[in-house]
Amino acid sequence: MSRPAPLGHGLGLRPIYYDEILSTRPAVDWFEIISENYMTGGGRPTAMLERVRADYPIVMHGVAMSLASTDPLDFDYLRELKTLAERVEPAFVSDHLAWTGVHGVTLHDLLPIPYTEEALAHVAERVMRVQDFLGRRLVVENASTYVAFRESEMSEWAFVNELARRADCLLLLDVNNVFVSSFNHGFDANAFIDAIDPDRVAQFHMAGHTDNGTHRIDTHDQPVCDEVWALYERARRRFGAVSTMIERDDNFPPFEELLAELGHMREIAAHIDAESARSAA
Amino acid sequence: MRLAELQAMFQAGVLAGAEDGAQILESVKNSRQADRTTLFGVYVNAYHARLAEFLAADFPALRALIGEEAFDALADAYIGAQPSRERNARWYTTRLPDFLRESEAWRDDARAIDLALFERALTDAFDAPDAEALPIEELAAFAPEQWPRLSFAFHPSLILLELETGTIATHEAAMEQQELPPRGEGRGHVALWRADLDSVHCELEADEFMALSLAMEGHAFGDICQMAAFRDHSDASPERLAQMLTGWFQEGLVVGAEAGEDG
Repeated sequence: MSRPAPLGHGLGLRPIYYDEILSTRPAVDWFEIISENYMTGGGRPTAMLERVRADYPIVMHGVAMSLASTDPLDFDYLRELKTLAERVEPAFVSDHLAWTGVHGVTLHDLLPIPYTEEALAHVAERVMRVQDFLGRRLVVENASTYVAFRESEMSEWAFVNELARRADCLLLLDVNNVFVSSFNHGFDANAFIDAIDPDRVAQFHMAGHTDNGTHRIDTHDQPVCDEVWALYERARRRFGAVSTMIERDDNFPPFEELLAELGHMREIAAHIDAESARSAA
Repeated sequence: MRLAELQAMFQAGVLAGAEDGAQILESVKNSRQADRTTLFGVYVNAYHARLAEFLAADFPALRALIGEEAFDALADAYIGAQPSRERNARWYTTRLPDFLRESEAWRDDARAIDLALFERALTDAFDAPDAEALPIEELAAFAPEQWPRLSFAFHPSLILLELETGTIATHEAAMEQQELPPRGEGRGHVALWRADLDSVHCELEADEFMALSLAMEGHAFGDICQMAAFRDHSDASPERLAQMLTGWFQEGLVVGAEAGEDG
Protein backbone atom coordinates (compact mmCIF):
# COMPACT_ATOMS: atom_id res chain seq x y z
CA MET A 1 0.00 0.00 0.00
CA SER A 2 1.36 3.43 -0.89
CA ARG A 3 0.73 6.77 0.76
CA PRO A 4 -0.61 9.58 -1.41
CA ALA A 5 1.99 12.00 -2.78
CA PRO A 6 2.56 14.91 -0.38
CA LEU A 7 0.96 18.23 -1.32
CA GLY A 8 3.41 20.35 0.66
CA HIS A 9 2.52 23.01 3.23
CA GLY A 10 -1.04 24.29 3.38
CA LEU A 11 -3.48 26.45 5.29
CA GLY A 12 -7.17 26.33 6.11
CA LEU A 13 -9.40 28.21 3.68
CA ARG A 14 -11.47 30.49 5.91
CA PRO A 15 -13.94 33.21 4.76
CA ILE A 16 -12.05 36.01 6.50
CA TYR A 17 -9.09 35.41 4.17
CA TYR A 18 -10.97 34.93 0.85
CA ASP A 19 -10.22 38.38 -0.53
CA GLU A 20 -6.58 38.31 0.48
CA ILE A 21 -6.02 34.85 -0.98
CA LEU A 22 -7.72 35.71 -4.27
CA SER A 23 -6.01 39.06 -4.66
CA THR A 24 -2.47 38.03 -3.63
CA ARG A 25 -2.36 34.33 -4.62
CA PRO A 26 -0.04 33.57 -1.71
CA ALA A 27 2.70 30.94 -1.79
CA VAL A 28 0.61 28.30 -0.05
CA ASP A 29 0.87 24.81 -1.54
CA TRP A 30 -2.74 23.82 -0.87
CA PHE A 31 -5.84 24.72 1.12
CA GLU A 32 -8.07 22.65 3.34
CA ILE A 33 -11.78 23.42 3.58
CA ILE A 34 -14.27 22.53 6.29
CA SER A 35 -16.54 20.42 4.09
CA GLU A 36 -19.79 21.36 5.83
CA ASN A 37 -19.23 25.07 5.13
CA TYR A 38 -19.63 24.32 1.43
CA MET A 39 -22.55 21.90 1.70
CA THR A 40 -25.17 24.63 2.13
CA GLY A 41 -26.21 25.55 -1.40
CA GLY A 42 -24.49 28.29 -3.35
CA GLY A 43 -23.54 31.92 -3.09
CA ARG A 44 -20.26 33.32 -1.83
CA PRO A 45 -18.87 30.15 -0.17
CA THR A 46 -19.26 28.11 -3.35
CA ALA A 47 -18.03 30.92 -5.63
CA MET A 48 -14.94 31.58 -3.51
CA LEU A 49 -14.11 27.89 -3.32
CA GLU A 50 -14.32 27.56 -7.10
CA ARG A 51 -11.96 30.49 -7.57
CA VAL A 52 -9.42 29.18 -5.08
CA ARG A 53 -9.78 25.68 -6.50
CA ALA A 54 -8.73 27.00 -9.91
CA ASP A 55 -5.24 27.72 -8.55
CA TYR A 56 -4.68 25.44 -5.56
CA PRO A 57 -5.15 21.78 -4.62
CA ILE A 58 -7.96 21.36 -2.08
CA VAL A 59 -8.43 18.89 0.75
CA MET A 60 -11.89 18.35 2.24
CA HIS A 61 -11.99 18.05 6.02
CA GLY A 62 -15.30 17.33 7.72
CA VAL A 63 -16.51 17.64 11.29
CA ALA A 64 -19.93 15.99 11.10
CA MET A 65 -19.54 12.43 9.82
CA SER A 66 -19.85 11.12 13.37
CA LEU A 67 -17.88 7.99 12.54
CA ALA A 68 -17.95 6.64 16.08
CA SER A 69 -21.63 7.27 16.79
CA THR A 70 -23.93 4.36 17.50
CA ASP A 71 -26.65 6.12 15.46
CA PRO A 72 -27.00 4.81 11.89
CA LEU A 73 -24.70 6.43 9.31
CA ASP A 74 -26.36 9.48 7.82
CA PHE A 75 -26.49 8.76 4.10
CA ASP A 76 -28.17 12.08 3.29
CA TYR A 77 -25.10 13.76 4.71
CA LEU A 78 -22.78 11.36 2.90
CA ARG A 79 -24.58 11.97 -0.40
CA GLU A 80 -24.07 15.72 -0.01
CA LEU A 81 -20.44 15.13 0.89
CA LYS A 82 -19.96 12.93 -2.15
CA THR A 83 -21.56 15.56 -4.40
CA LEU A 84 -19.19 18.18 -3.02
CA ALA A 85 -16.22 15.84 -3.53
CA GLU A 86 -17.25 15.23 -7.14
CA ARG A 87 -17.27 18.99 -7.70
CA VAL A 88 -14.11 19.88 -5.77
CA GLU A 89 -12.04 16.80 -6.66
CA PRO A 90 -10.09 17.04 -3.42
CA ALA A 91 -6.77 15.32 -2.83
CA PHE A 92 -8.23 13.75 0.35
CA VAL A 93 -11.49 13.58 2.27
CA SER A 94 -11.06 13.41 6.02
CA ASP A 95 -13.05 13.41 9.25
CA HIS A 96 -12.48 12.53 12.89
CA LEU A 97 -12.29 9.52 15.13
CA ALA A 98 -15.18 10.89 17.16
CA TRP A 99 -18.94 11.04 17.41
CA THR A 100 -21.14 14.14 17.40
CA GLY A 101 -24.36 12.84 18.92
CA VAL A 102 -26.87 10.00 19.20
CA HIS A 103 -30.67 9.61 18.95
CA GLY A 104 -30.74 12.13 16.11
CA VAL A 105 -29.23 14.92 18.21
CA THR A 106 -26.04 16.73 17.21
CA LEU A 107 -23.89 18.34 19.88
CA HIS A 108 -21.67 20.03 17.24
CA ASP A 109 -18.56 18.77 18.97
CA LEU A 110 -16.04 15.98 18.45
CA LEU A 111 -16.85 13.68 21.33
CA PRO A 112 -14.55 11.06 22.85
CA ILE A 113 -14.88 7.29 22.78
CA PRO A 114 -13.65 4.53 25.01
CA TYR A 115 -10.84 2.62 23.31
CA THR A 116 -12.47 -0.78 23.42
CA GLU A 117 -12.64 -3.74 21.08
CA GLU A 118 -16.37 -3.09 20.66
CA ALA A 119 -15.76 0.54 19.60
CA LEU A 120 -12.93 -0.53 17.31
CA ALA A 121 -15.07 -3.06 15.47
CA HIS A 122 -17.91 -0.56 15.25
CA VAL A 123 -15.84 2.32 13.87
CA ALA A 124 -13.83 0.13 11.49
CA GLU A 125 -17.03 -1.25 9.98
CA ARG A 126 -18.42 2.28 9.52
CA VAL A 127 -15.22 3.59 7.96
CA MET A 128 -15.33 0.74 5.46
CA ARG A 129 -18.97 1.50 4.59
CA VAL A 130 -18.19 5.20 4.17
CA GLN A 131 -15.24 4.37 1.93
CA ASP A 132 -17.42 2.07 -0.18
CA PHE A 133 -20.05 4.77 -0.49
CA LEU A 134 -17.65 7.60 -1.30
CA GLY A 135 -15.60 5.41 -3.60
CA ARG A 136 -12.36 6.58 -2.02
CA ARG A 137 -10.20 5.96 1.01
CA LEU A 138 -11.07 8.05 4.01
CA VAL A 139 -8.46 9.89 6.04
CA VAL A 140 -9.27 9.64 9.76
CA GLU A 141 -7.98 12.14 12.31
CA ASN A 142 -7.18 11.64 15.98
CA ALA A 143 -9.29 14.16 17.93
CA SER A 144 -8.35 16.16 21.02
CA THR A 145 -10.05 14.70 24.06
CA TYR A 146 -10.64 15.99 27.57
CA VAL A 147 -11.93 12.88 29.27
CA ALA A 148 -10.63 9.32 29.38
CA PHE A 149 -12.99 6.44 30.12
CA ARG A 150 -12.54 3.65 32.63
CA GLU A 151 -13.90 1.29 29.96
CA SER A 152 -10.85 1.79 27.66
CA GLU A 153 -8.96 -1.45 27.00
CA MET A 154 -6.09 -0.09 24.90
CA SER A 155 -4.13 3.09 24.19
CA GLU A 156 -5.42 5.64 21.70
CA TRP A 157 -2.49 4.93 19.37
CA ALA A 158 -3.10 1.18 19.45
CA PHE A 159 -6.74 1.87 18.61
CA VAL A 160 -5.84 4.25 15.76
CA ASN A 161 -3.31 1.86 14.22
CA GLU A 162 -5.67 -1.09 14.39
CA LEU A 163 -8.53 0.97 12.96
CA ALA A 164 -6.38 1.97 9.97
CA ARG A 165 -5.32 -1.65 9.45
CA ARG A 166 -8.82 -3.15 9.69
CA ALA A 167 -10.60 -0.47 7.64
CA ASP A 168 -7.66 0.06 5.29
CA CYS A 169 -8.05 3.80 5.74
CA LEU A 170 -5.44 6.54 5.92
CA LEU A 171 -4.64 8.68 8.94
CA LEU A 172 -4.55 12.40 9.54
CA LEU A 173 -2.15 12.85 12.41
CA ASP A 174 -3.13 16.01 14.25
CA VAL A 175 0.08 16.82 16.06
CA ASN A 176 -1.57 19.44 18.27
CA ASN A 177 -4.31 16.99 19.23
CA VAL A 178 -1.67 14.44 20.24
CA PHE A 179 -0.09 17.08 22.46
CA VAL A 180 -3.39 18.31 23.95
CA SER A 181 -4.63 14.78 24.68
CA SER A 182 -1.25 13.72 26.08
CA PHE A 183 -1.35 16.65 28.52
CA ASN A 184 -4.96 16.00 29.49
CA HIS A 185 -4.51 12.26 30.02
CA GLY A 186 -0.89 12.13 31.11
CA PHE A 187 0.53 9.96 28.33
CA ASP A 188 3.79 10.47 26.47
CA ALA A 189 3.14 12.37 23.22
CA ASN A 190 6.38 11.03 21.75
CA ALA A 191 5.21 7.47 22.37
CA PHE A 192 2.05 8.23 20.38
CA ILE A 193 4.02 9.61 17.43
CA ASP A 194 6.52 6.75 17.55
CA ALA A 195 3.80 4.10 17.56
CA ILE A 196 1.77 5.23 14.55
CA ASP A 197 2.23 3.18 11.38
CA PRO A 198 4.12 5.44 8.92
CA ASP A 199 2.50 3.77 5.91
CA ARG A 200 -0.90 5.10 6.93
CA VAL A 201 -0.20 8.78 7.54
CA ALA A 202 -1.45 10.94 4.66
CA GLN A 203 -1.63 14.28 6.41
CA PHE A 204 -0.59 16.30 9.48
CA HIS A 205 -2.57 19.03 11.19
CA MET A 206 -0.90 21.74 13.21
CA ALA A 207 -2.76 24.24 15.39
CA GLY A 208 -2.70 26.29 18.54
CA HIS A 209 -4.61 25.53 21.72
CA THR A 210 -5.55 27.13 25.04
CA ASP A 211 -3.77 26.29 28.27
CA ASN A 212 -6.28 26.23 31.12
CA GLY A 213 -3.71 25.16 33.69
CA THR A 214 -5.20 21.83 34.65
CA HIS A 215 -6.14 20.95 31.10
CA ARG A 216 -5.62 22.17 27.56
CA ILE A 217 -8.34 22.82 24.99
CA ASP A 218 -8.00 22.51 21.22
CA THR A 219 -9.25 26.00 20.33
CA HIS A 220 -7.37 26.76 17.08
CA ASP A 221 -7.19 30.39 18.19
CA GLN A 222 -3.49 30.72 18.99
CA PRO A 223 -0.20 30.32 17.15
CA VAL A 224 1.36 26.86 17.27
CA CYS A 225 3.28 26.58 20.56
CA ASP A 226 6.91 25.48 20.95
CA GLU A 227 6.06 22.05 22.36
CA VAL A 228 3.87 21.30 19.33
CA TRP A 229 6.59 22.48 16.95
CA ALA A 230 8.98 20.08 18.71
CA LEU A 231 6.47 17.29 18.28
CA TYR A 232 6.04 18.21 14.61
CA GLU A 233 9.80 17.89 14.16
CA ARG A 234 9.67 14.41 15.63
CA ALA A 235 6.72 13.46 13.44
CA ARG A 236 8.36 14.92 10.33
CA ARG A 237 11.48 12.84 11.00
CA ARG A 238 9.46 9.69 11.50
CA PHE A 239 6.92 10.05 8.70
CA GLY A 240 8.93 12.04 6.13
CA ALA A 241 7.29 14.49 3.75
CA VAL A 242 3.57 14.48 4.51
CA SER A 243 0.92 17.04 3.46
CA THR A 244 0.82 19.40 6.42
CA MET A 245 -1.39 22.38 7.20
CA ILE A 246 -2.06 24.88 9.97
CA GLU A 247 -5.61 25.22 11.25
CA ARG A 248 -6.75 28.61 12.50
CA ASP A 249 -10.44 29.01 13.32
CA ASP A 250 -10.73 31.93 15.71
CA ASN A 251 -8.88 35.03 16.90
CA PHE A 252 -7.78 35.41 13.29
CA PRO A 253 -4.43 37.19 12.82
CA PRO A 254 -3.35 39.09 9.70
CA PHE A 255 -2.81 36.53 6.94
CA GLU A 256 0.94 37.30 6.92
CA GLU A 257 1.20 35.81 10.42
CA LEU A 258 -0.15 32.50 9.15
CA LEU A 259 2.26 32.68 6.23
CA ALA A 260 5.09 33.26 8.71
CA GLU A 261 4.02 30.16 10.68
CA LEU A 262 3.93 28.23 7.42
CA GLY A 263 7.42 29.53 6.66
CA HIS A 264 8.61 28.22 10.03
CA MET A 265 7.14 24.83 9.21
CA ARG A 266 8.91 24.80 5.86
CA GLU A 267 12.24 25.66 7.54
CA ILE A 268 11.89 22.73 9.93
CA ALA A 269 11.05 20.39 7.06
CA ALA A 270 13.94 21.70 4.92
CA HIS A 271 16.35 21.33 7.83
CA ILE A 272 15.30 17.71 8.38
CA ASP A 273 15.54 16.93 4.66
CA ALA A 274 19.03 18.49 4.49
CA GLU A 275 20.11 16.40 7.49
CA SER A 276 18.75 13.24 5.89
CA ALA A 277 20.53 14.05 2.62
CA ARG A 278 23.83 14.59 4.48
CA SER A 279 23.55 11.34 6.41
CA ALA A 280 22.65 9.45 3.23
CA ALA A 281 25.66 10.90 1.37
CA MET B 1 -20.74 -0.64 29.50
CA ARG B 2 -21.70 -0.86 25.84
CA LEU B 3 -20.74 2.00 23.52
CA ALA B 4 -24.37 2.95 22.81
CA GLU B 5 -25.16 3.21 26.50
CA LEU B 6 -22.04 5.27 27.18
CA GLN B 7 -22.86 7.66 24.36
CA ALA B 8 -26.46 8.10 25.50
CA MET B 9 -25.29 8.83 29.02
CA PHE B 10 -22.59 11.22 27.85
CA GLN B 11 -25.05 13.12 25.67
CA ALA B 12 -27.65 13.29 28.44
CA GLY B 13 -25.02 14.83 30.70
CA VAL B 14 -24.10 17.47 28.13
CA LEU B 15 -27.73 18.32 27.35
CA ALA B 16 -28.56 18.61 31.05
CA GLY B 17 -26.18 21.56 31.06
CA ALA B 18 -24.44 20.78 34.34
CA GLU B 19 -21.45 18.54 34.85
CA ASP B 20 -22.20 17.96 38.55
CA GLY B 21 -24.01 14.73 39.13
CA ALA B 22 -23.91 13.52 35.53
CA GLN B 23 -24.21 9.74 35.50
CA ILE B 24 -21.45 9.49 32.89
CA LEU B 25 -18.93 10.70 35.51
CA GLU B 26 -18.81 7.15 36.86
CA SER B 27 -17.06 6.16 33.64
CA VAL B 28 -14.71 9.15 33.50
CA LYS B 29 -11.25 9.11 35.05
CA ASN B 30 -9.68 11.94 37.00
CA SER B 31 -6.48 13.16 35.37
CA ARG B 32 -3.29 13.98 37.26
CA GLN B 33 -4.16 17.68 37.22
CA ALA B 34 -7.94 17.86 37.05
CA ASP B 35 -10.93 16.07 38.49
CA ARG B 36 -13.33 14.33 36.16
CA THR B 37 -16.11 16.86 36.80
CA THR B 38 -13.90 19.67 35.46
CA LEU B 39 -12.87 17.60 32.45
CA PHE B 40 -16.40 16.55 31.54
CA GLY B 41 -17.38 20.18 32.08
CA VAL B 42 -15.26 21.12 29.05
CA TYR B 43 -17.84 19.38 26.85
CA VAL B 44 -20.82 20.80 28.76
CA ASN B 45 -19.50 24.35 28.50
CA ALA B 46 -18.40 24.00 24.89
CA TYR B 47 -21.84 22.74 23.84
CA HIS B 48 -23.65 25.72 25.28
CA ALA B 49 -21.02 28.25 24.22
CA ARG B 50 -20.93 26.94 20.65
CA LEU B 51 -24.69 27.08 20.13
CA ALA B 52 -24.89 30.53 21.74
CA GLU B 53 -22.15 31.64 19.37
CA PHE B 54 -24.15 30.41 16.35
CA LEU B 55 -27.14 32.44 17.53
CA ALA B 56 -25.12 35.59 18.19
CA ALA B 57 -23.46 35.30 14.78
CA ASP B 58 -26.77 34.96 12.91
CA PHE B 59 -28.80 37.54 14.90
CA PRO B 60 -26.45 40.44 15.73
CA ALA B 61 -29.10 43.13 15.22
CA LEU B 62 -31.64 41.32 17.40
CA ARG B 63 -28.95 41.17 20.06
CA ALA B 64 -28.42 44.94 19.77
CA LEU B 65 -32.18 45.56 19.92
CA ILE B 66 -33.02 43.51 22.99
CA GLY B 67 -29.67 43.88 24.77
CA GLU B 68 -27.02 41.36 25.71
CA GLU B 69 -28.69 40.15 28.88
CA ALA B 70 -32.05 39.47 27.25
CA PHE B 71 -30.32 37.88 24.25
CA ASP B 72 -28.34 35.56 26.52
CA ALA B 73 -31.56 34.57 28.29
CA LEU B 74 -33.22 33.99 24.92
CA ALA B 75 -30.24 31.88 23.77
CA ASP B 76 -30.42 29.85 27.01
CA ALA B 77 -34.12 29.23 26.46
CA TYR B 78 -33.65 28.30 22.79
CA ILE B 79 -30.74 25.98 23.48
CA GLY B 80 -32.62 24.36 26.36
CA ALA B 81 -35.72 23.83 24.25
CA GLN B 82 -34.02 22.89 21.00
CA PRO B 83 -31.18 20.40 21.01
CA SER B 84 -29.71 20.54 17.52
CA ARG B 85 -30.90 17.90 15.09
CA GLU B 86 -28.96 19.45 12.24
CA ARG B 87 -25.80 17.75 11.15
CA ASN B 88 -24.68 21.03 9.65
CA ALA B 89 -24.43 23.82 12.24
CA ARG B 90 -25.56 26.27 9.55
CA TRP B 91 -29.19 25.32 10.12
CA TYR B 92 -29.31 25.29 13.92
CA THR B 93 -30.48 28.88 14.31
CA THR B 94 -33.17 28.72 11.63
CA ARG B 95 -36.04 28.24 14.05
CA LEU B 96 -35.26 31.22 16.27
CA PRO B 97 -37.95 33.55 14.77
CA ASP B 98 -40.56 30.78 15.18
CA PHE B 99 -39.33 30.18 18.70
CA LEU B 100 -39.87 33.87 19.47
CA ARG B 101 -43.39 33.71 18.04
CA GLU B 102 -44.21 30.66 20.14
CA SER B 103 -42.63 31.86 23.37
CA GLU B 104 -44.73 33.52 26.03
CA ALA B 105 -41.95 35.97 26.80
CA TRP B 106 -41.52 37.16 23.21
CA ARG B 107 -44.67 36.50 21.22
CA ASP B 108 -46.02 40.04 21.68
CA ASP B 109 -42.78 41.72 20.64
CA ALA B 110 -43.39 42.14 16.92
CA ARG B 111 -40.35 44.35 16.53
CA ALA B 112 -38.00 41.64 17.82
CA ILE B 113 -39.76 38.89 15.87
CA ASP B 114 -39.64 40.83 12.60
CA LEU B 115 -36.01 41.78 13.06
CA ALA B 116 -35.21 38.09 13.66
CA LEU B 117 -37.16 37.15 10.51
CA PHE B 118 -35.22 39.71 8.51
CA GLU B 119 -31.86 38.50 9.82
CA ARG B 120 -32.73 34.88 9.14
CA ALA B 121 -33.74 35.79 5.59
CA LEU B 122 -30.42 37.58 5.05
CA THR B 123 -28.60 34.41 6.10
CA ASP B 124 -30.81 32.19 3.96
CA ALA B 125 -30.39 34.39 0.88
CA PHE B 126 -26.62 34.50 1.37
CA ASP B 127 -26.01 30.82 0.69
CA ALA B 128 -29.19 29.70 -1.10
CA PRO B 129 -28.56 27.54 -4.19
CA ASP B 130 -27.23 29.28 -7.30
CA ALA B 131 -29.27 29.81 -10.46
CA GLU B 132 -28.60 31.67 -13.70
CA ALA B 133 -30.72 34.76 -14.26
CA LEU B 134 -32.88 34.57 -17.38
CA PRO B 135 -32.21 37.47 -19.79
CA ILE B 136 -35.40 39.37 -20.57
CA GLU B 137 -34.68 38.86 -24.28
CA GLU B 138 -35.62 35.21 -23.80
CA LEU B 139 -39.24 36.31 -23.58
CA ALA B 140 -39.10 37.04 -27.31
CA ALA B 141 -39.24 33.27 -27.81
CA PHE B 142 -42.87 33.31 -26.65
CA ALA B 143 -45.67 34.31 -29.02
CA PRO B 144 -47.91 37.16 -27.78
CA GLU B 145 -50.84 34.77 -27.36
CA GLN B 146 -48.75 32.70 -24.94
CA TRP B 147 -48.14 35.61 -22.60
CA PRO B 148 -51.19 35.20 -20.41
CA ARG B 149 -50.09 31.60 -19.77
CA LEU B 150 -46.50 32.48 -18.90
CA SER B 151 -45.32 31.51 -15.46
CA PHE B 152 -41.90 32.15 -13.99
CA ALA B 153 -39.30 30.49 -11.80
CA PHE B 154 -37.44 32.73 -9.38
CA HIS B 155 -33.97 32.74 -7.94
CA PRO B 156 -33.79 30.32 -4.97
CA SER B 157 -32.49 33.13 -2.77
CA LEU B 158 -35.60 35.31 -3.21
CA ILE B 159 -37.59 35.71 0.02
CA LEU B 160 -40.59 37.97 0.59
CA LEU B 161 -41.45 39.25 4.05
CA GLU B 162 -44.11 41.39 5.61
CA LEU B 163 -42.43 43.30 8.41
CA GLU B 164 -43.08 46.04 10.88
CA THR B 165 -42.16 49.40 9.33
CA GLY B 166 -38.68 50.41 10.40
CA THR B 167 -37.28 46.88 10.65
CA ILE B 168 -34.66 47.54 7.98
CA ALA B 169 -33.69 50.90 9.50
CA THR B 170 -33.29 49.16 12.87
CA HIS B 171 -31.14 46.49 11.27
CA GLU B 172 -28.93 49.00 9.52
CA ALA B 173 -28.45 51.09 12.65
CA ALA B 174 -27.64 47.99 14.70
CA MET B 175 -25.07 46.76 12.20
CA GLU B 176 -23.39 50.16 12.14
CA GLN B 177 -23.53 50.31 15.94
CA GLN B 178 -25.59 53.50 15.78
CA GLU B 179 -28.42 54.48 18.07
CA LEU B 180 -31.51 52.49 17.09
CA PRO B 181 -34.39 54.47 15.55
CA PRO B 182 -37.75 54.67 17.34
CA ARG B 183 -40.23 51.93 16.60
CA GLY B 184 -42.07 52.36 13.28
CA GLU B 185 -45.82 52.35 12.80
CA GLY B 186 -47.68 49.98 10.50
CA ARG B 187 -46.31 47.21 8.36
CA GLY B 188 -44.49 47.08 5.04
CA HIS B 189 -43.22 44.59 2.48
CA VAL B 190 -39.66 43.58 1.70
CA ALA B 191 -37.96 41.40 -0.89
CA LEU B 192 -34.52 39.88 -0.14
CA TRP B 193 -32.28 38.03 -2.51
CA ARG B 194 -28.64 37.55 -3.40
CA ALA B 195 -26.92 39.74 -5.95
CA ASP B 196 -23.18 39.65 -6.67
CA LEU B 197 -22.72 37.14 -3.82
CA ASP B 198 -24.23 39.42 -1.17
CA SER B 199 -27.71 39.52 0.32
CA VAL B 200 -29.63 42.59 -0.83
CA HIS B 201 -33.15 43.84 -0.14
CA CYS B 202 -35.69 46.40 -1.24
CA GLU B 203 -39.05 47.57 -0.01
CA LEU B 204 -42.06 46.66 -2.16
CA GLU B 205 -45.38 48.38 -2.64
CA ALA B 206 -48.34 46.26 -1.54
CA ASP B 207 -49.42 45.50 -5.12
CA GLU B 208 -45.96 44.35 -6.16
CA PHE B 209 -45.62 42.22 -3.02
CA MET B 210 -48.92 40.56 -3.90
CA ALA B 211 -48.04 40.07 -7.57
CA LEU B 212 -44.60 38.68 -6.80
CA SER B 213 -46.02 36.36 -4.13
CA LEU B 214 -48.52 35.00 -6.64
CA ALA B 215 -45.87 34.68 -9.35
CA MET B 216 -43.58 32.79 -6.94
CA GLU B 217 -46.46 30.41 -6.22
CA GLY B 218 -46.45 29.60 -9.95
CA HIS B 219 -49.51 31.55 -11.09
CA ALA B 220 -49.44 32.61 -14.73
CA PHE B 221 -49.14 36.20 -15.82
CA GLY B 222 -52.71 36.39 -17.04
CA ASP B 223 -54.10 34.73 -13.93
CA ILE B 224 -52.37 37.21 -11.66
CA CYS B 225 -54.02 40.08 -13.54
CA GLN B 226 -57.38 38.40 -12.96
CA MET B 227 -56.87 37.52 -9.33
CA ALA B 228 -58.98 39.40 -6.85
CA ALA B 229 -56.03 39.74 -4.52
CA PHE B 230 -54.14 41.69 -7.16
CA ARG B 231 -57.14 43.58 -8.47
CA ASP B 232 -57.86 44.90 -4.97
CA HIS B 233 -55.10 47.40 -5.59
CA SER B 234 -56.33 50.52 -7.32
CA ASP B 235 -53.47 50.87 -9.79
CA ALA B 236 -53.44 47.17 -10.74
CA SER B 237 -53.42 46.63 -14.47
CA PRO B 238 -51.66 44.42 -17.03
CA GLU B 239 -49.39 47.37 -17.79
CA ARG B 240 -48.43 47.75 -14.14
CA LEU B 241 -47.76 44.02 -13.92
CA ALA B 242 -45.62 44.15 -17.07
CA GLN B 243 -43.64 46.99 -15.54
CA MET B 244 -43.05 44.94 -12.39
CA LEU B 245 -42.02 41.92 -14.45
CA THR B 246 -39.43 44.01 -16.27
CA GLY B 247 -38.04 45.08 -12.89
CA TRP B 248 -37.82 41.45 -11.71
CA PHE B 249 -35.85 40.57 -14.82
CA GLN B 250 -33.56 43.57 -14.39
CA GLU B 251 -32.77 42.52 -10.82
CA GLY B 252 -31.92 39.00 -12.00
CA LEU B 253 -34.76 37.47 -9.99
CA VAL B 254 -36.30 35.48 -12.85
CA VAL B 255 -34.45 32.28 -13.69
CA GLY B 256 -37.01 30.51 -15.84
CA ALA B 257 -40.17 31.04 -17.88
CA GLU B 258 -42.62 28.62 -19.43
CA ALA B 259 -45.96 28.89 -21.16
CA GLY B 260 -48.59 26.57 -19.70
CA GLU B 261 -51.13 24.65 -21.77
CA ASP B 262 -54.03 26.66 -23.09
CA GLY B 263 -57.31 26.39 -21.21
